[in-house]
Amino acid sequence: MKVLELKNVNKIYNSSEVKVNAVNEVSLAFEEAEFAAIVGPSGSGKTTLLNLIGGLDTPTSGEIIIAGTDLSQLKPSQLIDFRLKNIGFVFQSYNLIPVLTARENVEFIMTLQQWPEKERNERTEELLKAVGLGDRMNSRPSKLSGGQQQRVAVARALASRPKFVLADEPTANLDSKSAATLLEIMEKLNREQKITFIFSTHDPRVVKMARRVITLEDGRVISDELR
Amino acid sequence: MTATIAWKNIWRNHKRSLVVITAVTLGIISGVLLIGILEGWSKQRLQDAIYNEVSHIQIHQADFMNNEEINLTVRQPDNLIRVIDSLPGVTGWVKRTRIVSMISTPWAASGANLYGINPEAEKLVSHINQKIVPRGGRYLDAGSPSDMLISDKTAEILKLKQFIIADSTLDKLRMAKVPESLLAKLEPLKEKRFRSPVDFRNALRKAFSKKELDRYGAILMDQALDYRLRNKVQVTFSDREGNPVQGIFRVCGIYKTTNTSFDQSTLFVNADALAALYGASETLTHEIAILLNDTKDAGATAEKLIPVSTGNSVMTWKELAPDAAMMSDYMLVYYFIFIGIIMLALAFGIINTMLMAILERTKELGMLMAIGMNHRKVFSMIMLETLYLTLAGAVTGMVTGWMLAALLGRTGIHFTSWGEGFEAIGFAAKVYPVVTPAFLLITTLMVIVTAVIASIWPARKALKLNPVEALRTE
Ligand SMILES: Nc1ncnc2c1ncn2[C@@H]1O[C@H](COP(=O)(O)OP(=O)(O)OP(=O)(O)O)[C@@H](O)[C@H]1O
Ligand SMILES: [Mg+2]
Repeated sequence: MKVLELKNVNKIYNSSEVKVNAVNEVSLAFEEAEFAAIVGPSGSGKTTLLNLIGGLDTPTSGEIIIAGTDLSQLKPSQLIDFRLKNIGFVFQSYNLIPVLTARENVEFIMTLQQWPEKERNERTEELLKAVGLGDRMNSRPSKLSGGQQQRVAVARALASRPKFVLADEPTANLDSKSAATLLEIMEKLNREQKITFIFSTHDPRVVKMARRVITLEDGRVISDELR
Repeated sequence: MTATIAWKNIWRNHKRSLVVITAVTLGIISGVLLIGILEGWSKQRLQDAIYNEVSHIQIHQADFMNNEEINLTVRQPDNLIRVIDSLPGVTGWVKRTRIVSMISTPWAASGANLYGINPEAEKLVSHINQKIVPRGGRYLDAGSPSDMLISDKTAEILKLKQFIIADSTLDKLRMAKVPESLLAKLEPLKEKRFRSPVDFRNALRKAFSKKELDRYGAILMDQALDYRLRNKVQVTFSDREGNPVQGIFRVCGIYKTTNTSFDQSTLFVNADALAALYGASETLTHEIAILLNDTKDAGATAEKLIPVSTGNSVMTWKELAPDAAMMSDYMLVYYFIFIGIIMLALAFGIINTMLMAILERTKELGMLMAIGMNHRKVFSMIMLETLYLTLAGAVTGMVTGWMLAALLGRTGIHFTSWGEGFEAIGFAAKVYPVVTPAFLLITTLMVIVTAVIASIWPARKALKLNPVEALRTE
């Protein structure tokens, strides 16, 4: 089943003197439970592409269809709710609300969707245990290592059972050991919960773990291999 | 959860939040005290106006208040009294004779309203019998027809208020722990008669340093004060035929209310003694004053009296003491004005703080919006932060201000010295601050409104953030 489809998507930045085609005629489709890496040199358009897929940015042309919904049909306010329900996000940094504990950060997403308290608690504990932080649930982000913080972010991204999780360079700020742990956890969750992960990275070791690798250059998809 | 986050966010930057909270606290304390003093003053003025001066309701002949002639007596007083007695909520009533007259001593003269009263009946309606000053003699005695009660101010005008340093005065000062060195300096002033406070003050000023006067001036004035009680005073007025009548009274006592202009124009004698002067078979009634159990009933009770008062005019305290009425009517307006000004000033600080907080959290706000926190929730989070911040200060301010006001309400605040320590002696204006629940409620509401309004700008700024750009910022 297709969770995500891009048809001839373009993103053109017209800002200063130069015109940049950051995403150029990209057409892609993602199935349920994929584990895909987007790679490419700096400035190749990885972040731009992920922002478009996540509905954080709007394409200049083309269609993005998520679980049957064309994003361009949604009003800005609907788009926020759509993101909340259907897409999980893991950013490079500043993922967590600093005044909340790990548990509260994960719960937050479900509170926004008004889940009943019992379900919230169960899912939060289940997810934090799954990312190996069962014993750090009541710590604030500032008391956690960078790797642990990213694991909380992954748990939060999965909280509302999204169609897929987007992660833009989730390991960029981590040492290689933490990066490997994070990726292993993501891969395990992907297998167990059948949730699609799409992440961008520069790290060859991370790329190795992906089952699908999409390579960008100057905003174009130059290769798309399954392994 | 938005509420929890908002509350916790306040404490991310302790110092900055505490500065705002302190500012709001101080602002509200000053507002509470200021209004408390105004309210206390207003309450006191209202009490004094009603219980010393005008009672709740007065009835005169319809033209009397414009033209205070001796012949303009209340129409059908007995009929009125019957009705008044049948009304509920009446504490008491009195009939008074009221004649415009000249009063004079060998040294000075003045014009005033001469009231002929029944001393015992008067006590039911007016507290003037409780306003006799220390060493100021006694209240009117029905059995002593020559008695006249005058005010401290009238005594001063008629030069019946003198200052003498006698041996007994020095003894009293010694008991009051005035240093001997000062007492020695008083020796040359001994047994001299000063006919006005100004003369005595000038003499003291020559003898003592400013510092000594600031400290002991008031007690010196107080102890040297000597009213010339039993002194003869002459009154002159026109009788019912328009012929001048003269009468001699003796000052039996000195009273003093908080209202100098009332004091200055009000003299009391026995109604019968006055009647003997104008030569009527019975005492004339120019004024009926009624005291009620509850000030709130004044209007309604007056309404009931109007139909039976043909040819008379029925006035409530609001018309008789418009200054007191206006003050209490406008208290609500003062609440809004004072608190409004304070909150307006504070709003700028609050807005600035919130804008700084938003700027610092750009990335975090971008993240929150990206993961699905909608505009309404972001807005309410920032509004709640502003509200908590402001309310924290306001509640502290109201509690502190209220406690301070309660404390000062017990001791009272003295506004004696605007200039030199004792310059304003006789103006022992003491205010007892009063903080009403209505005021605290209005303040709370205004604080909430201010916080909500102050949060709009910062919140809109946050909503304008584009998540993609916000996340990109370093
Ligand atoms: N807001 C913008 N205005 C103008 N140009 C932009 C904007 N955002 C991105 N670009 C340009 O679009 C291109 C793609 O940028 P993008 O950030 O997507 O690359 P990237 O692959 O994520 O790079 P990196 O690996 O360094 O993160 C770049 O040339 C960049 O300069
Ligand atoms: Mg990037």
